[in-house]
Amino acid sequence: MGKAKVKLDKDLLEKAKKYAEIAGYTSPEEFITHCLEKEIAKLEESDSEEEIKKKLKGLGYIS
Amino acid sequence: MKRSVAAGSLLALGASSSLVTRAFGKKETAKKVIVLGFDGVDPQLLRLWMDEGKLPNFKKIASLGDFRPLKTSIPPQSPVAWSNFAAGMDPGGHGIFDFIHRDPKLYMPIFSGTATEEAKKTIRIGNLVFPLSGGEVKNLRKGKAFWQILEEHDIPATIFKIPSNYPPVKTKQRTISGMGTPDILGSYGICNYFTTKSAEVNEDIGGARVHEVYVIGNRVEAKIPGPINTFKKDRPTAEIDFKVYIDPQNPVAKISIQGQEFILREKEWSGWKRIHFNLIPTQSVSGICLFYLKEVRPDFKLYLSPINIDPADPALPISTPDSYSEELEKKFGPFFTKGLPADTSALDNDFLDDAEFLEQDDRVLKESLEMYDYELGRFDSGLLFYYISSTDQRQHMFWRLMDEQSPSYDSQLASQFGKTIENIYIEMDKILGKTMPKLDKNTILMVMSDHGFNPFRRCFNLNTWLKENGYHKLINDWKQEEESLFTNSDWSRTKAYGVGLNGLYLNLKGREKEGIVEPGAEAENLTQEIARKLEATIDPKTGEKAVFRAYVAKDVYEGKNLENAPDIILGFNRGCRISWGSPLGRFPKEIFEDNKQKWSGDHMGAAEIMPGILVTNQKVKAESPALYDLTATILDIFGIEKPKEMIGKTIF
Repeated sequence: MGKAKVKLDKDLLEKAKKYAEIAGYTSPEEFITHCLEKEIAKLEESDSEEEIKKKLKGLGYIS
Repeated sequence: MKRSVAAGSLLALGASSSLVTRAFGKKETAKKVIVLGFDGVDPQLLRLWMDEGKLPNFKKIASLGDFRPLKTSIPPQSPVAWSNFAAGMDPGGHGIFDFIHRDPKLYMPIFSGTATEEAKKTIRIGNLVFPLSGGEVKNLRKGKAFWQILEEHDIPATIFKIPSNYPPVKTKQRTISGMGTPDILGSYGICNYFTTKSAEVNEDIGGARVHEVYVIGNRVEAKIPGPINTFKKDRPTAEIDFKVYIDPQNPVAKISIQGQEFILREKEWSGWKRIHFNLIPTQSVSGICLFYLKEVRPDFKLYLSPINIDPADPALPISTPDSYSEELEKKFGPFFTKGLPADTSALDNDFLDDAEFLEQDDRVLKESLEMYDYELGRFDSGLLFYYISSTDQRQHMFWRLMDEQSPSYDSQLASQFGKTIENIYIEMDKILGKTMPKLDKNTILMVMSDHGFNPFRRCFNLNTWLKENGYHKLINDWKQEEESLFTNSDWSRTKAYGVGLNGLYLNLKGREKEGIVEPGAEAENLTQEIARKLEATIDPKTGEKAVFRAYVAKDVYEGKNLENAPDIILGFNRGCRISWGSPLGRFPKEIFEDNKQKWSGDHMGAAEIMPGILVTNQKVKAESPALYDLTATILDIFGIEKPKEMIGKTIF
């Protein structure tokens, strides 16, 4: 799997390191990845509203 | 429970069963009952064409017994009406009030008939997610279906595609699900349309995905999107690649997909093709679809039908026993399993023209008739229910060509297709002709429809009406026409909203997430006020009332399952219907609009003006037979006392 670097504000990175350790993550990278996955999942959930709309439209009665 | 519309890939994968389905119950019953369910057959049209001598078998049956209007449900929508019949109750009992309900905590439209529960426990290995417990699709209709009660008394029944029975309720009877059965995407039907004409590409078409493709060296390469792959962590859409090789001289193309190759001439249908969406190396979902090569040159246009659940290997439950759909597939080959099989969206969006749509629906009808011959041939005990959808679908799409007042009337097309509806009634008459030799003195025939039909000329924007009358407030008025799904609604100042095809809901405190209307006197007074105003609303173009009756739910429903009931159910006047955008929370500028769609016939009227039909070889004693009375009648014929929650009475 490919890797890419992302720039983070130094203070934020320090906080991420601190809380990654407290929360029991094996590394700050794992903690940040988990946070991003959670946020993206939320956004994808809201996309599914559009998807529901499209699927309901297949009924024929609505457009 | 999370409601999902695309959890199919996790459900019932790899189900297998015996290919023998035996009729359950007694080998012979003293009485036998055949029920033919012709969706949407209208009593006025039936009377007209009977009187003109075009329907001799209907006339003969009626002369032996009776022909009556059949009281429909409030509202007269198929899932509601057929539930009245299946459960012998009104919506207050069976809990289905519309095609579309709403989630009061999200103000979001949701399917009324089913809920899908995904696997609760999963395990993640690498980027794959494996279910540890099975997901489930639930039929939300409450109450026992009459064939379950027959089963308790050892009376065999075959129930062929009755609407609102997806997934089929648990029974040993032979049943296969009808309207409500999704396509492989978990939707009510999404076709794919591949075109080189960029003007046709539109991402916002209901019931369709349009793909822009390119012809490079006489070759087109494209992908068919499938279900969401829930086995993968990021839940991508499963896809199938395919290629089309275009003959450089002739209007012919070869399609190559998953090791299958077939040639289509321009304007030719492919016949059923089986395709497999591979999810992970050990799991795939099988679907069936039809290709139609609409145009080769100058533009390349290829239509692909909604991908139906494969009856030979159903990814979701569609029959009882499981092997019944496999048995039918083995005997007849692949067949339409999607609830409403004809692709009305494709006609409305010009992916198929009138003739092409009818070719597709002729296939639907041909399959139905072949299977009817089979089921009628082996019917010797108990009850046979058989459903036909083409009557409903053709009335929706072709009313415009027998109605000169329709905004989409076209005299040229009318000369070619103006008798489409009359012809489908004649086809139903032929089904009666096939059935009559089976009718002895102990066999009762009931030919029924769930509702009638009427022209759909004018659209009523309920949400716009609510806004104009001060019951619904928007955050930004200038964005009124831009947003849908109530994303521009100011719930802190909104008293009412419309969702679905006939439903109006109060923004009720304690029920809705941001409800402001106090339950009790305030809610009751507001309900009465809105209902009175709706009934007094006049369409300025026609001078007619838009709403014939605004029913207050608690006044018209019996039973305890009112949690999803709208507060007011709009019973439209003849010629009028809810608009295209209002059911999903849109606010078009005008309250009334012309309906310029090909979808030009409908049945969202008040129950009083939209009855279905009952034609039977018995004399009907009931003054005003209703759908739920037929349920009580069937049980009575077999000597079974109806359960107390059923509200109907025997009609004979």
